Amino acid sequence: MTNVKFKNLLINFGFGTKAEKIQLLKANPDKEIYMDLTCYDPGEFYFQYPQLKGCFAALFCDAEKKVEVHLRERSEDFFKKMKELGFRPVETSIISCGFIFPRTIVQIINEAHFALEEEVASKKDIDRAMKYGVNYPKGPFEWSKGRELYVLTLLQELFNKTQDKRYLSSRLILP
Amino acid sequence: MNLQRIVVIGAGTMGSGIAQWFAQQMCYVELVDNSEAQLKKALTDIHASWDKLVEKEKLTSCQVIQMKKLLETKSLRKVSKDSDLVIEAIIENLEIKRSLFQELDQYFSSKTILASNTSSFPIGLIAEAVSVERKKRFIGLHFFNPATIMKLVEIIKATETEASLCDALYEWFDSKEKKPALSKDSPGFIVNRVARNFYGEPLRIAERDDEERMKEIDRVLKEVGGFKMGPFELMDLIGIDINYSVTCSVWEAYKQEPRFAPHKLQKQMVDEKRFGRKTKRGFYKYD
Repeated sequence: MTNVKFKNLLINFGFGTKAEKIQLLKANPDKEIYMDLTCYDPGEFYFQYPQLKGCFAALFCDAEKKVEVHLRERSEDFFKKMKELGFRPVETSIISCGFIFPRTIVQIINEAHFALEEEVASKKDIDRAMKYGVNYPKGPFEWSKGRELYVLTLLQELFNKTQDKRYLSSRLILP
Repeated sequence: MNLQRIVVIGAGTMGSGIAQWFAQQMCYVELVDNSEAQLKKALTDIHASWDKLVEKEKLTSCQVIQMKKLLETKSLRKVSKDSDLVIEAIIENLEIKRSLFQELDQYFSSKTILASNTSSFPIGLIAEAVSVERKKRFIGLHFFNPATIMKLVEIIKATETEASLCDALYEWFDSKEKKPALSKDSPGFIVNRVARNFYGEPLRIAERDDEERMKEIDRVLKEVGGFKMGPFELMDLIGIDINYSVTCSVWEAYKQEPRFAPHKLQKQMVDEKRFGRKTKRGFYKYD
């Protein structure tokens, strides 16, 4: 995890376990904190930590650095700082475990891995099929490359929250 | 492999698109349909599309004159028996397809490749209608609509399809404007399987019939994810009834695997006859 500090404001980037994220919040009760919670449920954190003013999902960002952001209340200061750091915040009012884009994309990635596990097609052909058959901007394996840990963590979190077997992960997703 | 003589059976949207694409590759194409009126309409539409492409300077008039000569409409009994490839793109009805392939197996030379453009049925199940020898040259070729624009063609290898045939077709399509992807003969092949969660997960995030939430999910997936359309506007375009039916068929084919389970909102929409754009009411209103 990386923390960027400005006076009263702290922006926490990167992957961390839930315990690490909580530890950071507890250690900074007087700061206004904005945190990357790509793999977790923001609602759970908001409930317990009033110093958490907003959260975002940057772990699946591509080169354009468009990042899904949820704020308790609109903060021009946070937006300004994120822009200075090169991000392009896209605000949402929906609180969902794994936000909107990461939650959707990990399920597509998981299914692609199940298809690979069952030898339906090669990685290259699955990526190609999704890009040229339904115009996805990237193939599922291109999306997951280097992000396997985030995919697994979010699927695990969704399963823990819902107990729905649709979130069980393919054994081919290896961190 | 050199595919030169193609027969396309079924002059609906998919069939005529496939026929047009092959003619654009300078193959000789015979387009077949039971309905004379359908054939006439398909030919008129294809010619109009080519004329438009000349206007837009995407094709030259010389090329189009040649293409028009290469595409003919015929009845099944009049097509060349020694065609290289026959593609079936008729109604998604297993019995009708099997009965057609039984006839095609008898009619065409033993070298002709028989292919189905089905998206619903296992290729192996359709291939049961043909002889043991033909099964080696029986394959799935799943094009995407519009076939002249969408680059993907899924090549589906049934258990008895010769691997070398798949490889040769892959290479042939790769050398043209298409992007082939080789798939095992399993439900939904690649795209209709992997894409299910592009709809299923946003439905679970939305949870309820709330247009504002759906609009927001569509917006975020387009802006952050880079998708050209959001899942709700896309379901409205495809038809919620059609999308629901594909979801149910993949779910059943995978023995009700939870990853493919339909969402209650899909059923609610279908029950309320809110099919999307075609009924002016789906996840969104189109007044």
